[in-house]
Order: sequence, then C-alpha cells, then structure tokens
Amino acid sequence: MAPATQYELSPPPGDAVSSISFAPTSGTKLLVSSWDKKVYCYDIAGGAGETNLINTYEHQAPVLDVCFGADDNEAFTAGMDWAVNKWASCIYTRPQVHGTNEIAQDRFGKRREDSSKQAFCAAILVSASWDCSLNLHNLKDPSSAPIRVALPGKPHALASSPTKVVVAMTGRVINIYDLDTIAELFVSGSTDLKPWQQRESSLRYLTRAVACMPNDAGYATSSIEGRVAVEWFEDTAESQARKYAFKCHRQAAADGDGDIVYPVNALAFHPVHGTFASGGGDGTAALWDAEAKRRLKQYQKFPNSVAALAFSSDGKYLAVGVCPGFETGQEDYNGEGQTSVLIRELGDNEAKGKGAK
Amino acid sequence: MGKKRRGHPDVEDILGRPWCYYCERDFEDLKLLISHQKAKHFKCDRCGRRLNTAGGLSVHLNQVHKENLSQVENALPNRQGLEVEIFGMEGIPAEILDQHRNRIIQNFYQAQEDRRVATGNPLPGQASNNSRKKVKVETTDTLKQRLEEFRAQRKNGGSIAPAEAAPPAASPASFTPQPQYDQHSAQPAYPQAPPAASYGYPASALPARPSANLPAAPGLPQRPTQGGNWNSPGAAPGAASGDDIDQLIRMAEAGIKPPQKGEAGDDDKKGKKDKDKKSRMMYDDAEISPEERMAALPRYVFAPEIAA
Repeated sequence: MAPATQYELSPPPGDAVSSISFAPTSGTKLLVSSWDKKVYCYDIAGGAGETNLINTYEHQAPVLDVCFGADDNEAFTAGMDWAVNKWASCIYTRPQVHGTNEIAQDRFGKRREDSSKQAFCAAILVSASWDCSLNLHNLKDPSSAPIRVALPGKPHALASSPTKVVVAMTGRVINIYDLDTIAELFVSGSTDLKPWQQRESSLRYLTRAVACMPNDAGYATSSIEGRVAVEWFEDTAESQARKYAFKCHRQAAADGDGDIVYPVNALAFHPVHGTFASGGGDGTAALWDAEAKRRLKQYQKFPNSVAALAFSSDGKYLAVGVCPGFETGQEDYNGEGQTSVLIRELGDNEAKGKGAK
Repeated sequence: MGKKRRGHPDVEDILGRPWCYYCERDFEDLKLLISHQKAKHFKCDRCGRRLNTAGGLSVHLNQVHKENLSQVENALPNRQGLEVEIFGMEGIPAEILDQHRNRIIQNFYQAQEDRRVATGNPLPGQASNNSRKKVKVETTDTLKQRLEEFRAQRKNGGSIAPAEAAPPAASPASFTPQPQYDQHSAQPAYPQAPPAASYGYPASALPARPSANLPAAPGLPQRPTQGGNWNSPGAAPGAASGDDIDQLIRMAEAGIKPPQKGEAGDDDKKGKKDKDKKSRMMYDDAEISPEERMAALPRYVFAPEIAA
C-alpha cells in the first residue's frame, strides 16, 4: 500500500538543524535552517533515493529559524547575524535585510539573535530576539522599520496561530499577543503593544518549544525537563481547567537508578488532525492526541537527538531534523556528519486522533 | 504468599484472568486478550493489518512494506523485544508469569488491606484470628521464661539469629553499665556472638544484653556505652539489633505494641524509591537555552566585523 515510509534527505545539512518549515501550499517543498550558516531548500516530490536538494542559501552566521511567507516562493530566516532576512522565490536573490538592530545587548555581549519568527496572511512577521525584544515587521510596507516591543524576559520560543502569537520566555513567562492588535499598531503608528494575555508557564523548567493548535484553540509548550504542557487560549475557568502537562522523552538510566530526562526540543501540530508531534533529546519522536490525552504513536529511535519537526501543509509528511543534542557542560559541539533530515510519510490514519472519530 | 492465598477464591479469580504480556492489562477471556494484542501490539501501522504475533508482523512489514520491526508497539519499556513469541497467554516466560502473579497478589492484598484500614472491617475469613492487628504484649513471666531459654541456648554455645533472640528480661533499671562494653564498642562487629567467657564471668551471671554484639551489627555503628541514660526514652533508637531489643523491652514494659519488624526496612525502601525518582537531566540550565550556549562556541560565534 504505502511505499517505503521513512528516508533521509540527501544531501543532509552540513551541521546541526535549527528549524524545518514546509511550504504553505506545495506539500513537498521544505526549508531546513542549519548551524552551518545555510538554509537548505528540498523538494521531496521525487521520493527516496533522489537528490532532493533544490538550493542552498548562504548566510553570514548560523541560521536559527526559517519560515515561509505568504506563498511557496517567499521565506524568512532569522539568525545570529542580527537580521531577519527575506528570500524571494527559490532562486537565489539578494537578501533584503529586514531589521538590523544593533542596540541589543545580551549576555553574550553585543549580539542580536533571533530565536523564531512567523509570517502570516495578515502580512505580519514577528521575530523575537535574545535581547528581550519582539520585532513586528509590516510586510505590506517593506520599507518601514519594524516596531520593537520590549519583552519581560528572554524569549526562547515563539509560535503563531491564525490570530495569536505565543512567546515563551525565561522566568516561566508566556506572553500571548493578538495579531489584530498588531495590525492596528501598523496603522496607528503606535509602538505600545500590550500582551493579550500574560501567563505563567505550566512547566517549571526552561521552555524549549511552543506550537499552536491549527484550530486556534490553544497551544503546547515543552521544556528542557522532558515535559509537555497543553493549554487553551480561552480565558474561562473551564477552559483553563482543561490544561495539563505530562512527562515524556525520558529513559530509565542504565544503572537502574532513576530516569535520564531529555529536553523536548520540538513540537509541531498536524495541520489536518490537530494532533501533535514532539521530538526530544532521547532521539525519539512521538505523536500525541491533545484532546484525548493519549499517545498515538512513538517512532523508532533516531540515531541522534531530534532537533526540529514539521508537518507538511497537507499533513502527509513529517520531517524530522536529527542531530546530536547539546548537553549541560558540553564544551564543544559539532553536528557535522551526524545531522540528517528524515522524511516520514504518514499513513492515512497515523496521526488521526482517536477521539476525533 | 502461600498461606496468604488460603481461603480467598477472589484472588484466584483475578489470577485466572488472561493478561497481556506486552502491557500487563488483563481481560475477561482469552478471545478478548487476543483481539487486544492484534489491535494494540501486532497491528501494522502502514496498512492496518492485524497480525497474530510480533514475528508475523515483522515478516509482514519486511515483505509488504520493506520495513523492519524493531519493537512491539504500545508495549511496556522492558517488554518491547521481539525475541519472545507471544500469542495470547502462550509464550510468556516463566519468570515473567511469576512476577505477574506476585504483583497481582501483592496488589490484591494491598487493596484489601487498604480497604480494611479504610472501613475498619475485618477481612473475610480472618474475622477472629487476625494476627496482624493483634498487639503482642509479653508478660513479665513469659519474658523471663524466654530469657532462661535464651541463656541456656547461649551456654550451649548456640548462636542465635538476632531477630529470634529473645529480649533479655532483666529490667533496665537493674542494669548497671558494664565497663566491658567499652571494650566491645572499640571492636568491630563480631561476626558471631563472642564466647561468653570473654566477659570475664560466666554467662549465666551476666545480667543483660548478651545480644548487643550479635552479628546483625556489621557495618553499623557500635552501641556506645550509654551510662545511666540508655534507658531514657529519648535515647536514640539505634539500628543495631541489640538496640531493637532494648526498645522492645522498653516498649513491652510500657505496654506499647512492639514496632513492626520491617518498618525500618519499609522506610529504607521508600527512601530508595524517592531517590529512584530523582532524575538526571541532560540539559538543566534554567536561564540559557542550548542554542545560546552553542552560539557562544567559537565554532558558531558571529563576528560582525567580518560580516560588515
């Protein structure tokens, strides 16, 4: 019935994967950002065994995030070069530098990095930086300077739903911004953006990833301490009572004494079924049903830590970025030669929640 | 466990239920179990075909989908292996069967005990002669009698396991600290009870505490000479069996139920369990993300001069 279900993209990125993003319409085109300062554009239409790489885009510094814009030919990247870059079409063009703010001072000295960003139909691009700021880019007016909004903490993860942006920061702070409010900001010219909601994270440890439900109902967060929390946007007592967190991506220690707890590096919601995938430092990825609170599937262990996950827009493929995980106290890191991006073709009901029958 | 099962048909019922090797779930009958296994553990995730065994699924995956099965789906972490060929209740290794049986029994009695504690009702079939609940209080006479027996045994050179050693009956008030104990406390634990002669007088004349240096103590701190205050209730209850016995006597005198043997062990176990729960995190920085750490490495550091 189904062909070979899992294969590796060739050639793989030259260093650790930071992010994976599928094109909004094509379903087979994806971008992979890497620490080797490049963004790789693959098309998996050819299937296994083919050369999937279409193009690479060289940056000046490691690229930390990538996302598509309004269509398949527009993409944005964010990296350690203090810039958010726009790449028009998949033919190499000169990057348009969107926001360069050297004002920032973070704990590594004078450096501005982006941790994540998103593009929307409303033509808003939001980028977050380790200098504790959020930058709102108005894509309708590319010449305009982005609006800079101060954040109460250092952002570590950012995700968007059709109407909201969720920013997870240090100190367990989670800010939720309303996109309409941001759109109004561009019109009014004001720079004063208040979060629609500010919450304390349900997870005690540093937030690792955020993903929003495609139906705009809520979001999931994951932490470095093998845990995932699911929360709902709606600020009513009953909606809030539905939120929960669970442990995952742990392994019994070899000596039988306790668990080894891995960070949950990646979260991605399935665009059709609304289930989500999590990927952890233990090198596994699992599919979860957020509504039914069930694990649907745990995939076979990958050779290294799962760093990034993405579903294709039609939900047929799951891309898994695998590279060595960064551990506490590690002095050196090199993902070269050990990094791969695996494409898993999902069965028809593989990611379908049981409750959604 | 043998005697526990006596007269409880309901635990037999539970033990008789077919259960799944892979997930420890139990079922009403074998048919349900097999259909569970086919649906949960032997189902092909590519085409949904339900196979009869893990081996069958492996062959199916291999031939039809050109994939390799590495583990059984939805199985407990230590049961994912493909080495055992399971079909229903067939093929479960004997030691796993035993483990399961023991766990069921343990759980059953735990539940029963919990119910009993909660309701205060005696257990069915144990209404009158429930020895677990009974407080064992020894009268002075029986204590004395046991001491005599004990002494006789000692004299014969027999060594007694500390748990069985009768508590010496001499009342603590009559006990005068023996300088000889200094000598004992300076020595490492005796592997066996020292010959009575080492006390310097016949064992029968020894007033008390012959068991203080019994073999239970190795590794544990020796009981120090405690002078007159060893009888005080505040004296720390030592872990050595000799002190257990002291305590037992004191408790018996005060009419308190002797502490259940194994309570200390339970505590230890609990402590160990807590420790077990301690987990090691692969990344534990509360402020700085792995990306930031990586960004600071010379390999990845961004130098704006070059960029400009």
